[in-house]
Amino acid sequence: MRIVLSNIIAIYRRELQGYFASPFAYMIAGVFWLLSGFFFVSILLSSEGLIAQVAVRDQVGITEPPIDIVYQFLTVFLGVLGSLALFVLPILSMGLYAEERKRGTIELLATSPVTNWAVALGKLLGVVTFFTTLVLPLLVYQSIALGAADPPVSPTVMLLGHFALILLGAAILSLGMFISSLTDSTILAAILTFGLILLLWVIDLVANSIGGPVGDALGHLSLVKNYTNLTQGIVDSSSLIVFLSYIVLGLFLTAQSIEAFRFQRS
Amino acid sequence: MIEADHLSKIYGTTSAIQDITFSVEKGEILGFLGPNGAGKTTTMRILTGYLPATSGTARIAGFDVHEDSMAVRQRIGYLPENPPLYPDMTVEGYLHFVGRLKGVPAGDRPTRVKLAMKRCGLLDKRQVLIRKLSKGFRQRVGIAQAIVHDPPAIILDEPTVGLDPRQIIEVRNLIKSLAGEHTIILSTHILPEVSMTCSRVAIINRGQVVAMNTPDQLMAQLTGGAGYELEVEGDSALIQQRLQQLPGVKAIEEIADETLPEAHQKYRVTLDAEPQTGQKMGQNAGRTIAAAIVSAGWGLHEMRRVQVSLEEVFLELTTEETISEAALSEEAAQSSSAAAETATSPETPAPSIETEPEMSPETRS
Repeated sequence: MRIVLSNIIAIYRRELQGYFASPFAYMIAGVFWLLSGFFFVSILLSSEGLIAQVAVRDQVGITEPPIDIVYQFLTVFLGVLGSLALFVLPILSMGLYAEERKRGTIELLATSPVTNWAVALGKLLGVVTFFTTLVLPLLVYQSIALGAADPPVSPTVMLLGHFALILLGAAILSLGMFISSLTDSTILAAILTFGLILLLWVIDLVANSIGGPVGDALGHLSLVKNYTNLTQGIVDSSSLIVFLSYIVLGLFLTAQSIEAFRFQRS
Repeated sequence: MIEADHLSKIYGTTSAIQDITFSVEKGEILGFLGPNGAGKTTTMRILTGYLPATSGTARIAGFDVHEDSMAVRQRIGYLPENPPLYPDMTVEGYLHFVGRLKGVPAGDRPTRVKLAMKRCGLLDKRQVLIRKLSKGFRQRVGIAQAIVHDPPAIILDEPTVGLDPRQIIEVRNLIKSLAGEHTIILSTHILPEVSMTCSRVAIINRGQVVAMNTPDQLMAQLTGGAGYELEVEGDSALIQQRLQQLPGVKAIEEIADETLPEAHQKYRVTLDAEPQTGQKMGQNAGRTIAAAIVSAGWGLHEMRRVQVSLEEVFLELTTEETISEAALSEEAAQSSSAAAETATSPETPAPSIETEPEMSPETRS
């Protein structure tokens, strides 16, 4: 057990080190922060932003229904971040195994006394940590802006939303890791992952059009629905379970695909 | 220590290796010698458990490489064809990572990593990013990676590729120094390399082991041809007696053949495989035998070398040497004059030096 843990930590640290030593990762972080900052400003402060809208309503004299700016803002902003993550996450996950295969380092991992599970888990933790470092700085300017709200915002609401974002990220990264383990082309892995996420993102639209029990069942698999629930402050254990299931599924499939790699390469 | 039992591997319809069987005792160095594409890498990948064999089994330290993969992985160090390096890590960081993966206890890791770097001559490069290293140094990091956890069995796929002559000698010495407590398998397509490092050699061609012996005897066989087949007209007893007296001839046997004309006999002459005489005889034995028969007045109707399969391999090996020699002749010209001198005097008596000129062109590849 201690050995497995030590292996996971070794893989985890290598992954992290890989991100922080790579200009590519900084580029992604830069773009992500730039875009999210842009959306933050435009949702909140632009001439058609939330504050302007409320001000107009006040001038016109509409007070019903009352608008909770903070709540509105968080829902919209996190929704946008979720969509942004759709594009960023496949780029983060594409290299997880495809790079190892291309470089030949998979041969080192496959001939070291490490289980495929440990490798997959270490990698996933590494990339989720990197994604978390992308998300956390956003909290800084949000808390500055939202700190001015009256009545004051409970930090739990904000934290829950961002936790949901990270959970969503982990689910997508886990599936992306599996796809990355299938190919040695990073580009192909990114494209396939993007396609899969898109499918899972809008699956509730498909589900609605099908209707019936099958449609219902499909609808529960939707990432966007479960994510929106969480960002709206609805802590539904079924949403959490869906995300966790995706994470475990991705890990399982990755471990299996690498194991299969050992059996049937011919 | 390492046993392969009737290993075969089939990719789709082409078979990469067929029925490979060998075993390596503890402390031995076995060299796989063969042209590119002969199945060396496939065999090594099977031994490390990276690839499954289509049929047959392999065991390392008594553990089946496929069934007990984890037990085997703890006991091997493996340098694949392409060194498995992370370009964004420093040499030392990388070796620490590998040490950790291989289960070296945290307390021993700094010493093990340092020892591996020292053995591979990497101490001045310890803080350099692997990305910035030359090919030769990367190869050395690859070797360091294979020995960092002090495994009982070490498998090296073409360990001297991409190194310059001085580094090649260093690596060969390193490998020799590892023998004894470690069991080593290495592959190469360079003929003289095996004679310098290995205690035993398996020649692989088209997926099959065509010969397995000590390097000296193999060298003798390869350079001299293992023997001749003769068809001679004359008194059988006298002929055999005369041939037996020739230097370098080890044995003569008569081959029964009913279709031969009256007074004709067929013989198989086996040459002495002892390194010194064997090699020298190799170049002259044919002439000596022919001269002896002709001068005695017997009729020599047929004479040909036997062991064709080895010859074939040898030809492929030598062709490669010639190619690299031609391609790198310019570099060769700049190399130390001492090496050049030995290269031009192949008659040097001591066997260890005699192999040197053959090595020199290849070492520059």
